[in-house]
Amino acid sequence: VDAVAASEMFYKLLIVVFLAVSLQGAPADGQKKKETLLSEKVSQMMEWTSKRAVIRLNGEKFRRLIRAPPRNYSVIIMFTALQPQRQCGVCKQADEEYQILANSWRYSNAFTNRIFFAMVDFDEGSDVFQMLNMNSAPTFINFPAKGKPKRADTYELQVRGFAAEQLARWVADRTDVHIRVIRPPNYAGPLMLGLLLAFIGSLAYVRRNNLEFLFNKNVWAFSALCFVLIMTSGQMWNHIRGPPYAHKNPNTGQVSYIHGSSQAQFVAETHIVLLFNAAVTLGIVLLHEAATSDLDVGKRKIMCVAGIGLVVLFFSWLLSIFRAKYHGYPYSFLLG
Amino acid sequence: ASVSGFLSLLSFTILFLAWLAGFSSRLFAVIRFESIIHEFDPWFNYRSTHHLSTNGFYEFLNWFDERAWYPLGRIVGGTVYPGLMVTAGLIHYILNLLHVTVHIRDVCVFLAPVFSGLTAVSTFLLTRELWNQGAGLLAACFIAIVPGYISRSVAGSFDNEGIAIFALQFTYYLWVKSVKTGSVFWTIGCCLSYFYMVSAWGGYVFIINLIPLHVFVLLLMQRFSRRLYIAYSTFYIVGLVLSMQIPFVGFQPIRTSEHMAAAGVFALLQAYAFLQYLKDRLTRQEFQTLFFLGVSLAAGVVFLTLTKPSLPPLLRYAKIHIPIIASVSEHQPTTWVSFFFDLHILVCTFPAGLWFCIKNINDERVFVALYAISAVYFAGVMVRLMLTLTPVVCMLSAIAFSSVFEHYLGDDMKRENPIKQHPFYPVKNSSVYSKLIVTMLMLMLLMMFAVHCTWVTSNAYSSPSVVLASYNHDGSRNILDDFREAYYWLRQNTDEHARVMSWWDYGYQIAGMANRTTLVDNNTWNNSHIALVGKAMSSNESAAYEIMKSLDVDYVLIIFGGVIGYSGDDINKFLWMVRIAEGEHPKDIRESDYFTPQGEFRVDKAGSPTLLNCLMYKMSYYRFGEMQLDFRTPPGFDRTRNAEIGNKDIRLKHLEEAFTSEHWLVRIYRVKKQENRQALDHKLRNIAAKQKYTSKKVLPSRFH
Repeated sequence: VDAVAASEMFYKLLIVVFLAVSLQGAPADGQKKKETLLSEKVSQMMEWTSKRAVIRLNGEKFRRLIRAPPRNYSVIIMFTALQPQRQCGVCKQADEEYQILANSWRYSNAFTNRIFFAMVDFDEGSDVFQMLNMNSAPTFINFPAKGKPKRADTYELQVRGFAAEQLARWVADRTDVHIRVIRPPNYAGPLMLGLLLAFIGSLAYVRRNNLEFLFNKNVWAFSALCFVLIMTSGQMWNHIRGPPYAHKNPNTGQVSYIHGSSQAQFVAETHIVLLFNAAVTLGIVLLHEAATSDLDVGKRKIMCVAGIGLVVLFFSWLLSIFRAKYHGYPYSFLLG
Repeated sequence: ASVSGFLSLLSFTILFLAWLAGFSSRLFAVIRFESIIHEFDPWFNYRSTHHLSTNGFYEFLNWFDERAWYPLGRIVGGTVYPGLMVTAGLIHYILNLLHVTVHIRDVCVFLAPVFSGLTAVSTFLLTRELWNQGAGLLAACFIAIVPGYISRSVAGSFDNEGIAIFALQFTYYLWVKSVKTGSVFWTIGCCLSYFYMVSAWGGYVFIINLIPLHVFVLLLMQRFSRRLYIAYSTFYIVGLVLSMQIPFVGFQPIRTSEHMAAAGVFALLQAYAFLQYLKDRLTRQEFQTLFFLGVSLAAGVVFLTLTKPSLPPLLRYAKIHIPIIASVSEHQPTTWVSFFFDLHILVCTFPAGLWFCIKNINDERVFVALYAISAVYFAGVMVRLMLTLTPVVCMLSAIAFSSVFEHYLGDDMKRENPIKQHPFYPVKNSSVYSKLIVTMLMLMLLMMFAVHCTWVTSNAYSSPSVVLASYNHDGSRNILDDFREAYYWLRQNTDEHARVMSWWDYGYQIAGMANRTTLVDNNTWNNSHIALVGKAMSSNESAAYEIMKSLDVDYVLIIFGGVIGYSGDDINKFLWMVRIAEGEHPKDIRESDYFTPQGEFRVDKAGSPTLLNCLMYKMSYYRFGEMQLDFRTPPGFDRTRNAEIGNKDIRLKHLEEAFTSEHWLVRIYRVKKQENRQALDHKLRNIAAKQKYTSKKVLPSRFH
């Protein structure tokens, strides 16, 4: 087996040497110069790509490797502003997706030197931004192997979003290079779960002689109630849709915690609703306890009054919030 | 004896009134409009029921519907849950047998309201098993009018859910009963009810997972008993066999992962019972050896199967379900407003009921707690599953209200009852005023709940959506009956075998009301076929003509709301057509072509040229540019999108307008047949002949 491999190696070497010789002996001098320049550029790009999936360019590199003519490779460039003082939140998210795309390409089996991924940060190459007359970031532009970028070579970020899959489709569209996006698996969730289980396990082990707490109905009832309240206040919606915590009006600086429409909600709003629901539940439980517990009469009276107060106040408050959100709802209770 | 008789009379009256209230609050649509089937899916159910009642049950089971999914067709008998149709057909049959001649349509329209009464009764029974009679009556009243359930069961909404919630609640009642008694009689009843549920709705999967979960949790809580063993073993085997009798379900219960939890729990229960049996027979030492032997044997089996490439079903279960959990975001999650809208006060009080249940736990309250927790999770993930949460919310809220009322509505008779838990009976001590205030408060809340339910039912859930209504400034009402007008036109004026292309939303209605063949319908099983229709709608006219020719389309039906400002029309749904078409034909259709460079979807002059020349646009706005709706707006002003249309000079080459309804809501176009090939000018053909041809033949002499 070794012998075969060695002979294969030998042939490969031979071919490389032959190629090198034939390249050296190319007839036209200009052609030769162009080709050496090109292979230099390609090897330069390959070297950078091997270090980092997304090549960082500044003005000088951009002009030399992208703008200057001999080029047989496409380059996808993300123009962005990642410096913290620029406060571009979208840029960070777009950058993450772009890195995923570039890494998927870098480590895929189909990796060739036909296409490279690069980026220009505004603070490193503002002259490039000026040269291309660009005033928004992030922007994705494909510099095709032949000719100048056309209109469709600028990625429509507003329409298609910056998900890596969408970017990959666009790249396939423009350059015929198909990239399968492979997202690095997220270990955070299982890790947290594992830690939690380990914590519970160790707790149970430490208290192994006293496992009474497992039979404590209050603990179970309390956790069931927490789960139910979390669900009925729309936390699952928040989890899936990811709304902002609250909305700050940029003109007046006023912060609104309640979303105006019944189709959407803010995170703060759901927390408020959770508390209100919990308060009404507590009120009902207090009313029940006031009637059944064997405390003295005074305490039970206080419990009863507190129960009435909680139910009345928080339910009418909840109803008024609902009324503000659901336009045209006619009913209210105490609070307008 | 007279007291208990009085009590049962009272219960009976309350249940009857709850049934009546539930029935009548579902009649808004019938009173405002007429006795008509609503929306989309009910039209298919109605059509199938009609087929069943005219052709008989076996003909229905073997029905191949050639009017749907042209040219594929659909095997209806094997792809529906037949419970709904069979129920309606049976009621119709019995009524006709008794010479009560009603039309099958009226049976279908009023089926869901009648079944809501049965749901109320079964909820009463279940809650009585869980808590007490009073809570049961409250729960029955709640479920009769709660919007979360009314949304799927108004008169005319002839859908599976209408009868399935009754089957669900009744199955749970019989399950709780069989766990309580451990009698095979109740369990067989539970299986039969489960069978009915399987025949009625795909949501039976909820039952076949919740009951094993209940058994499993009871085992964990060391509440194993003979009763539980008998109930679950019988339920699993009989229920399994029965559920496999439904053609649509078939072998799924032993194949698919949704059902594997039930099988796993069944095996576990058998093992547990066996160990219990051994424990009684053997000494402690022997038992321990045997236990470890068994455990190591089981571990070995698991290890062997793990290393094998083909995983056993139970492990595959977990594997398949991880992407499902991940893809949950596909569904529409529920906001707190939806919860409050559908449940009102119940959403705040049912956690209290859950608290009371867990504090006073027993076997059946474990069940209701698990029911609440799982249903609230599913309802949070998907707004449609609010329906399965509603019954348990009603029951737990009833428990909460009832346990408050019990102590504050203190009646004298109760005070003499021997069931006091506490030596100092509290009512004696609490002042009359606090009793009065709390009672008034609770009654006030319940009254607000009733008012809310009525308002929501009347305003949000009682529109047939086949007939629209608009209100003038003086409160008078206009009925827009364009849909039925157009479907009736199709029925009367087109060939019986004409094929109508439309977006899939209207497939069932065209089949049901116009009785014509459709290409795609609401049973969206074939994505590529839908994508083809979407491609035809979003291509230009000549490309669309090629597709329509290949699909033998005779008519195209579209919904256009620009004249009256109806927002659910095809232009507003258009991007979905484009997206679905793009998914299958990415080379021909691109979503970005339909947007302006700024990424907006607009129909005016600034809109993208691809949009302005696609078939859907042309059909929607054909001759709309000539129409001036009022003096403040230019001609061709679209009221739905508030824009003047960008292409007013629309000419159609391969289509011609066949019908437009009164308010332009439905427009139907006829697809022209292909023209003759090689149309020539009228000039005579001029063949350049060098010399005049004369026959050289010599005629036979007899003709001279």
